[in-house]
Amino acid sequence: MHRTVAALLLILAPSQADAQGIVRGTVRDKDGSPIASASVSVRGTTLAARTDPAGRFRITLVPAGRVHLYAAAIGHAVADTVISLTGGDSTIVDLVLAAEPLALPPVDVISSRVPHFGERPSTSVADVTTQDIDRRALNTVDEAIEHVSGVQMINGQTNIRGSTGYVQGLNSRVLMTVDGIPMNQGDRGGINWDLLGVDEIESAQVLKGAGSSLYGSAAFGGVINVTTRDVPNGLHTRLRLSGGGYGNPPHDIWRFRDQQGVIGSGDLAASYGDDVIGGRISGGYRHSDGYREQDQEDHLHFAAKARWNTANTRVDVSGAWADDRYDVPLAWCNRGECADSGQVYQPFRMDTSEYGARTDSKKSYVAAQARTTLSPRFAWSARGSWFHTDFTDVRHTMSEYGIGNRFGLAGQIEARPDSTRAVVVGLEGTFSDVTSDIFGKHSQSEFAAYGQSEQRAGALRVSGGARVDFLAVDGGSLTAVVSPRIGLTIPTDTRARDGGMLRASVGRGFRAPSMAERFVHTFALGFEVIPNPTLRPETAWSFEIGHTSAPLFHKLRLDAALFWTEARELIEPQIIQVVDSTGTPHIEIQLQNVVRARIAGIDANVIAAPIPGHLTTTLGYTYLSTRRQLAGDTTTGPLAFRPPHQLTLSADYAFGVASVGADFRFASRPESIELEAFVDSRRVPVNVLDLRASWTRGPVELRLLATNVLNYVYNLVPETLAPVRTVTVTAVWSH
Amino acid sequence: MRKIVLLALVIAGCGGGLQPEPICAPSLVGLCGTLRFQGAIPDSTDNVFIAAYATVPQTCNDLIANRRPLIPGSVPYTDSVADYSVELAPDTYHWVVAVWKKLGSLTLTPADTALLRVAGYYRDPADTTQRGAVTVPNGPAPGDINFVVDFDNLRPATDFVTCTAQ
Repeated sequence: MHRTVAALLLILAPSQADAQGIVRGTVRDKDGSPIASASVSVRGTTLAARTDPAGRFRITLVPAGRVHLYAAAIGHAVADTVISLTGGDSTIVDLVLAAEPLALPPVDVISSRVPHFGERPSTSVADVTTQDIDRRALNTVDEAIEHVSGVQMINGQTNIRGSTGYVQGLNSRVLMTVDGIPMNQGDRGGINWDLLGVDEIESAQVLKGAGSSLYGSAAFGGVINVTTRDVPNGLHTRLRLSGGGYGNPPHDIWRFRDQQGVIGSGDLAASYGDDVIGGRISGGYRHSDGYREQDQEDHLHFAAKARWNTANTRVDVSGAWADDRYDVPLAWCNRGECADSGQVYQPFRMDTSEYGARTDSKKSYVAAQARTTLSPRFAWSARGSWFHTDFTDVRHTMSEYGIGNRFGLAGQIEARPDSTRAVVVGLEGTFSDVTSDIFGKHSQSEFAAYGQSEQRAGALRVSGGARVDFLAVDGGSLTAVVSPRIGLTIPTDTRARDGGMLRASVGRGFRAPSMAERFVHTFALGFEVIPNPTLRPETAWSFEIGHTSAPLFHKLRLDAALFWTEARELIEPQIIQVVDSTGTPHIEIQLQNVVRARIAGIDANVIAAPIPGHLTTTLGYTYLSTRRQLAGDTTTGPLAFRPPHQLTLSADYAFGVASVGADFRFASRPESIELEAFVDSRRVPVNVLDLRASWTRGPVELRLLATNVLNYVYNLVPETLAPVRTVTVTAVWSH
Repeated sequence: MRKIVLLALVIAGCGGGLQPEPICAPSLVGLCGTLRFQGAIPDSTDNVFIAAYATVPQTCNDLIANRRPLIPGSVPYTDSVADYSVELAPDTYHWVVAVWKKLGSLTLTPADTALLRVAGYYRDPADTTQRGAVTVPNGPAPGDINFVVDFDNLRPATDFVTCTAQ
């Protein structure tokens, strides 16, 4: 084994005599303005860098000779150039990118586990860019995600192409990573969207379809990677203030307060960096009166990030801490539960017996990662992380608490044995524990090894690999899950570098039951919820074939994907009858591996720039066909909380220093919900229109955002009202 | 841009969204009416709900399993009069009953009858000693299904059905 590793290192690592140099420079647009976050890479190597806000980049260890340099940025055509570099020398290269609104975004972090050559991967990846986040003047991270085609946020749970549905906050079939580090909760497996302030976020990428072959459990239905802002060179500060109000109920009979509810937030960040070190600290506070009765929320957060660069190594240390206290409108008021004014239900009011209910929630993480480029063809990286959650639900009937930890360690090697092959292999270990009065005291260990390779054969690219995960609960026996994946991309228009591309992939996904699902013991809907320690992992095979067109008439680009998932042993709550020791029957609720399901559909997107430089529009449509079958039952039906049709429309018009835009989201009425006979099954389609406007001058930006301007009243889960009209004004000062 | 906004407005306008729903709303498929309360409300009261049976239950098991809705909502009972409505599938219901529930968790089994009492039921207008039948059409609900809830005369299930040993 040692000999094999030594031989590999000898092959891949360069001798000291190899001549190398440094390539540095800037990336600017045609007007000379710097382009931040552009990706600059040396083709055929692991060498890459991103530009800072001044558009500067620096790449070390570049082999002397003819160097093939490639630069890409959101909204710009790629630059592909060859330079000459002398060993031991430093060469300055200033790259100019032409504006191209239809350009495909550069490959980024989500693909860092996929060996690649800089082109788009063989699975669908949607990008939420810095510009998307800025122009929408969002207040929370999840608001940035829900505008992605095929994604629906259901009460904080992410549904990518119908993967998750709504699972009562006890798990997630989507993995969230922050700068590549998994951040799902250790106990419930869910996602804390309020862990980071929105001002910490630079961009996000959404990997659609099973990602378990790369990321393991929880990536059953997809992966969302959030990239935080980097630390640029120089001294920078950023102040963001936001304030606004909620619309009143559209019908007087639903009015529940005399004054208008308000929302406001403030964020301040400062950073300093040079070529070697850098650091950033930030903090923020947000208050919301909420749009319903007993819906107040206070949120405080701090974050810090530091980097250290040497000639061939970069070390990043980051952390965040957030404290939330929010009132809990558990469910809207039904007849007799409040001052109902003669109404069957009051969606803005709540059951008076739940007055005073609230949740106190603290969460924090610390992470460190290092990446060393040993040679242009060989790099390794390692990371460690700790994610801590602590919540207390305060209720009249009973209060519950839970403390969860998730510790992670990982190491990865990236290699380019030759110009036609890229390889990634890695090891990962995770330990999670929970102490809770509803989940008990338990732990779960996960160990994984993975390998992926991409081979170029002419214009064709074939990628494949597998990951094996071993899971153990409370130190018990290991359960092994193997998740293979294979993908293929074929250019369909070779005239342009950014031309059309056909992609196809098939992979296996799985999700280990969260400790909350296995061990939850509480009361819901008036029944006892009992634990099920024998839950098994959910598994699925996902297939996708898609095509991205080359720009049509220089104004239009189309992307469409056909996807198909066959899932086994999905975990759902079941109403069961049990007989106790006295022979008395009881109705109880238990989570069980009972459902077999098929999720198939089409995800189509159009981006158009009818007036280049001014007007950009996008249209996304997702059709979902789901079929659910209970074990031992031949009857079938649709999966719960999956709307068959989803439509997103977006348009932005820019003129000089100002711009206006609009977003529209439609989701048809879900055909089915869980436990339909036990809850108010009232539900309607989603029709939400958002409008925005912005003005930028020098370091100051002013943004106006009006969400749900039609004040459309709807719910996504039973008896829970979705947000009404909200108008906010945001001012940002950057220096 | 303008076309997109117009399209969005049209779609949104067609969607409707959640709307206020008064008791006995024209859109209700089910039945509704007025309850008149009399007697002293017991301290152990949890709630009062309305249930309907397409066929008159004969056993304790029928009483629980054939109840519609399976999980009924509560009716305000602290005033002397309260309007109520119940969503039901179109059918003819031969027993519409007000049920008093004492504090405690239901199990959806015949054991629930220990927590439940019959507090009143809709009577045939032509013969008030008999149960009244109500037909729920697939359209506007029949209103005026009015009856009395008597807290001083809460009757156990065994007055109406046969319960085997539980």
